[in-house]
Amino acid sequence: MSLRQIIILITVALAVMVVLPGLGRYGAYIVYVVAIASIGALALNLLIGYCGQISFCHGGLLGVGAYAAGNIGNAGQDMVVALVGAGIVTAFVSVMIGLPALRLRGLYFAISTLAAQFILEYLFRLIEPWTHGVSGLLIQPAPFFGLDLSNDRGYAAIAVGLLVMSLIAVSRLLRTDLGRRFILIRDSEIVARGMGVNVARTKLWAFAISGFLAGMSGGLLAFTSRIAAPEAFEIALSVDYVAMIIVGGLGSLPGAVIGAGFVVLLPEVAQRIGETFGAATQTAALREMVFGLLIILFLIHEPRGLNSLASRAVRRLRRTSGPLSNNKRSSASDLEMTQARL
Amino acid sequence: MRKSLVIAAFGALLASPSNAVSADINVCIWGTITGPDALVNGMSYGARDYFEYLNEAEGGIEGHKVHTVLLDGRYKLDEEQKNYRRCVSEENAVFINGWSTGAVKSLRDQIQSDAVPFMTDSHSSEVLDPKKFPYIFMAGPTYEQQILIGLRSAAKAGGKRVVIMHANNEYGRAPVEVVRKSGAIEEMGLELVDQIEFPFDTQDLTGQILRVKNIDPDLVFVQASTPQMLVVLRDAAKVGLPASLFMGNMYNISPAIPEQLGASAEGFRSIQLYADFGSDIPAMKDINKYGESNTIEKRDTYYMKGWYQGIAMSTAIRNAVKKAGGVPDDLVAFRNSVRDEMENLPSLDTGGITPVVNYANHQGPTQARISEIKGGSYTAVGEWIDAE
Repeated sequence: MSLRQIIILITVALAVMVVLPGLGRYGAYIVYVVAIASIGALALNLLIGYCGQISFCHGGLLGVGAYAAGNIGNAGQDMVVALVGAGIVTAFVSVMIGLPALRLRGLYFAISTLAAQFILEYLFRLIEPWTHGVSGLLIQPAPFFGLDLSNDRGYAAIAVGLLVMSLIAVSRLLRTDLGRRFILIRDSEIVARGMGVNVARTKLWAFAISGFLAGMSGGLLAFTSRIAAPEAFEIALSVDYVAMIIVGGLGSLPGAVIGAGFVVLLPEVAQRIGETFGAATQTAALREMVFGLLIILFLIHEPRGLNSLASRAVRRLRRTSGPLSNNKRSSASDLEMTQARL
Repeated sequence: MRKSLVIAAFGALLASPSNAVSADINVCIWGTITGPDALVNGMSYGARDYFEYLNEAEGGIEGHKVHTVLLDGRYKLDEEQKNYRRCVSEENAVFINGWSTGAVKSLRDQIQSDAVPFMTDSHSSEVLDPKKFPYIFMAGPTYEQQILIGLRSAAKAGGKRVVIMHANNEYGRAPVEVVRKSGAIEEMGLELVDQIEFPFDTQDLTGQILRVKNIDPDLVFVQASTPQMLVVLRDAAKVGLPASLFMGNMYNISPAIPEQLGASAEGFRSIQLYADFGSDIPAMKDINKYGESNTIEKRDTYYMKGWYQGIAMSTAIRNAVKKAGGVPDDLVAFRNSVRDEMENLPSLDTGGITPVVNYANHQGPTQARISEIKGGSYTAVGEWIDAE
């Protein structure tokens, strides 16, 4: 992410925050749900898209973050402390889940994360003093830097702010040696070893960073929904997140946001279209099927996801709005190649 | 073409809330239209259809058309939270009817701060407290009360040893724990000889049913939904246990049970809170009238529950409108007035769907009766039993 892109990102975020008061509670809710899902998808994209470690326990990790943040918040701490605490706890759990990755690869490791998901679900029900079992942990609103922002607009501002910080942090990280090592491991562990990369340590870093972001995302989810219950963090949520990064674009930062937006908003768009045509019940029944079909279509026709489609649309728009100079053409082409690599 | 579709989709997203503004009275309902609990979603259709019936038969409430929105909560917490916000701030609903226990628990403080009357489809005692949650209303006995009614009938029939089976989620485990810890089972002269938990999404319970067979109890009360009850009764038949040994709660009066299990379901008993669809009661005449020109999505006891909820909510709204001499311009005042009227409902005639009720307790009816599958359909086998 270049400085120009960072400035654009911050400007968009500020624009969203300016618009927030006029959006109403429902609009603000949509904004923060998409932002929270985007942070979660970004975390998973870092692990799968950039480091090549397929994980099916992201829903469980969000749950760890939610319970951790809820407990810290209920103990009277500021939301910032709770979110950071949730990030640290989840990073630790994520590293534990990542340990088998030192011995397992590909599908075998994916299955081990699936097992981790089920273990986490079981623990959410079992560790009652911490999770309140099947009843779920009720979460009290917490101040944010001492301010009372416990309303939909406040949560939206916090979530958008955190999303921007996460995007910038991950994009910076990918330019460091560690980030490049992630990509090298994804492309070939053998080559990475040959180049002297400590594969085990690098993978665990990916799990830790991804876990930290997932924990913060889960923590935000807990404060906004006011409850952390086992049923909210089941395998279906993990599958939703995998779908988000496939639809948005594996190994792409904007893809995480676009995919999250798509998966979160699709039911809403389907509902509204159904209402417009007086067939809300029918579209509700068809929604899951349409969602599944779209994923299959993406996998077949555009494996690089919506982000790739968006990039192409932007290029087409530029072409129609005026001829590009040779320099611009080549830089656009470079950008595309870089995105494809990432 | 593609551009037009995208524009249409976003246009629909932005434009549809404006529909709500044109109506005088807005009511918002969400249920599991699609999702794991969809078998019992007749209650959402029933409530919506009652308001539509009022529009058709009486021109609305006191001459004001009712705009009813039915949303799909998919039995997902985030979806239900989204629906709630839409109902409160976009649809400007004066009454909301929402679905799951988890959602109502997470929303109960917001319901309080938004001061919006809320009819919950959940029967969890955790959301029933007129003092703590003065805007939340229920549609009958809690799950705990239903278990007690079931056990009481077993004790009355001379039973001594009972087993309770329940799903491993909140809906399954929490009410059973409350009843077990209350000591009520022992007070009835019963002995709880085993408590068996099973996964909510179970497909096979042979092992658990064999355990029941070894214990040989007088009654097995199952706290679960219809899909799990189908598994319980199927596996019971497999190991030679009669369906008459088992009893379920209000969510086990589903035509799916006799339809799918046939003779294996004969004798199975459930707690019945609302009259059957098609029974000879005054409310059925209205339903049939509505059905002449409309499609009735579900024809079961849950539809009757929804219809009854519609009667209760609309009566409170009507009383509030009458009192104000029209629909108040101030939505906050209107909602508060509806809440007060709901709480002060006099003996409400539900057209025979339930016994006459009032809502001072925020719960409505506290009676239930036992219904048994006989000849492939549910038949009430006793009088109404009061949970209190």
